[in-house]
Amino acid sequence: MTEVAATVIFLVALFALLGSSVWVGLALMGVAWIGMELFTTRPAGDAMLTTIWASSSSWTLTALPLFIWMGEILYRTRLSEDMFRGLAPWMKGLPGGLLHTNIAGCTVFAAVSGSSAATLTTVGKMSIPELRARGYPEYMIIGTLAGAATLGLMIPPSLTLIVYGVSINESITQLFMAGIIPGLVLAGLFMSYIIGWHYLRPGEHARPEPRMTYGEMFAESRFLIPVLCLVFAVIGSMYFGWATATEAAAVGVIGALLLALFQGSLTFGTFTQSLMGATRTSAMIALILMGAAFLSLAMGFTGLPRALAAYIDTLGLSPITLIAALTVFYIILGMFLDGISSVVLTMAIVEPMIRQAGIDVIWFGIFIVVVVEMAQVTPPIGFNLFVLQGMTKHEIGYIAKTAIPMVLLMLVMVIILVIWPELATWLPDTIRQRGS
Amino acid sequence: MGLPLWVWLFVLPTLIVLAAGLAPDRARPLLRPLWRVLDGVYLGAGVIAACGMVTILLLIVAQMVARWSSVAFPGSTDFAGYAMAATSFFALAHALTRGAHIRVSVFLNMTEGTKFWLDALATFIAAVTATYFARYAIKTNAFSALLNDRTQGQDMVPEWVLSAVLTLGTWPSDWAQLWAETGDEWVFTPLWLPQLPMSIGTILLAVALWDYLSRLLVNRETAIVREAVE
Repeated sequence: MTEVAATVIFLVALFALLGSSVWVGLALMGVAWIGMELFTTRPAGDAMLTTIWASSSSWTLTALPLFIWMGEILYRTRLSEDMFRGLAPWMKGLPGGLLHTNIAGCTVFAAVSGSSAATLTTVGKMSIPELRARGYPEYMIIGTLAGAATLGLMIPPSLTLIVYGVSINESITQLFMAGIIPGLVLAGLFMSYIIGWHYLRPGEHARPEPRMTYGEMFAESRFLIPVLCLVFAVIGSMYFGWATATEAAAVGVIGALLLALFQGSLTFGTFTQSLMGATRTSAMIALILMGAAFLSLAMGFTGLPRALAAYIDTLGLSPITLIAALTVFYIILGMFLDGISSVVLTMAIVEPMIRQAGIDVIWFGIFIVVVVEMAQVTPPIGFNLFVLQGMTKHEIGYIAKTAIPMVLLMLVMVIILVIWPELATWLPDTIRQRGS
Repeated sequence: MGLPLWVWLFVLPTLIVLAAGLAPDRARPLLRPLWRVLDGVYLGAGVIAACGMVTILLLIVAQMVARWSSVAFPGSTDFAGYAMAATSFFALAHALTRGAHIRVSVFLNMTEGTKFWLDALATFIAAVTATYFARYAIKTNAFSALLNDRTQGQDMVPEWVLSAVLTLGTWPSDWAQLWAETGDEWVFTPLWLPQLPMSIGTILLAVALWDYLSRLLVNRETAIVREAVE
């Protein structure tokens, strides 16, 4: 009975605090404080600080601020323009034309940035006006961009995966490797949607682009080469085991600084802006992680996660049913919370559940990223929707509607991941074997 | 002055903020200089946090260089962890003032009439929680010093660094003795040193929340300015 009471109290307190717009990190702390005072006799405050100190001074976490910083530096370079100019010549021949630059641009930028919003702004800043000028239908421009920008969460470096890895104590490098293939498959799905549109709606085609020789195409895309080198340096150094995730992040920051320097966009102003912006974002995530660390501790004391995992176990659900249920659960949660908050908030409960059910935790990390990606583009709270609203002045409702096909494709991605879990587990497994 | 601690921590700030809210026209000229000073303090802490971020980068680069050149750099991961904590804690208040901390704003933006009250309630709850957080951060930090807790890792600091920090926290009459006892050897990092940013940062966060509650009540609008969507 006490478990039921504890669950109800935790849930009510959580919804009350989050709903009354208390900052997420402090809301989690408040809920944990209430829980500790009600259900344990242990001194809540001392236990709280021991946990929070241990979690916030951890070495694994240092990858987080550095990857944020790297994204912030590149965001302030000329990358937007270079990306569109460099990708356009290669995309114009595909069915669906330059709409593919949205997907390809997001994929490339996702490989140097861990955030969906930064990916969206960097790619959209250039591609929205250019695609509009060429007469592509508005709903396709907005929809594909909103969907593809979520790849920023999946393709390494990914802030969500770092937070997930830190929460459940799994290797961040392995999680990053696991994200590569599913990220590319998802990008492929988005591209197939554009190709489908091309053949199903022939009346909406844009003007064809002028022809170019291969020489011109390479000349146009020469600016992209440094970025691609950076991608390979960061991901490659992790893949070949030369660097840990944190070291790869440091390489990324230095590479990004050099790139900005050679482009001439590295001034004292942009340097401090990127540094302060990254400091703020990482403090924001750190506060959520602190709150979540305390909440996990409080819930652990009540025995709630273990009891719930045992209860789920007695139901005898198949892993597929469990995954289906969790998908629905995270989609609902994601309507109100951002991805990182929903991951840290639920991990204390969900981790014992999935471990009990025998689900691979690396695979589950990729699954959870796909599901919280959907949350980025579903109303009422979807971060990409807000960013796109700011950029295009369209209504949230309209943007959300254009993104519906992308959300459905992400659901397809969940199904693909369930059918072929190797997509996520193969790459990290090969690294694990080579390491041992 | 024999009031229990919770009166000082929770009741007193509440009363001050309420008084300011009830007499906004009297409170505004009194509080405005304080607000200006505090704004500088939050920004200053943010800059220190940014230096912490650069330190993380330099430590990790040093670690890689040390490994390639087969030089030992003991405790590099611990130092990076301390820098990480310093970055996070020092920036908490600064991130708050720039609207970087996220909140669920569905109900907040629902109607104009309730917005002020809900914002005030949320800031109050946050301020109380942050004060509790800061109170135990200081206690943990003080206990680490009292029990002379040392690091579990391999990280060492020169003893004079500790003495230099302690100089700031002791009376000048004790300085002679403090420095007389300071040797020039290296010692395992005592935990109170890296925990100092935790105490300072959480105090600043609590102060910032009470401060912004007072601004909200006096000016009837939130003082948090979000920078343009990036």
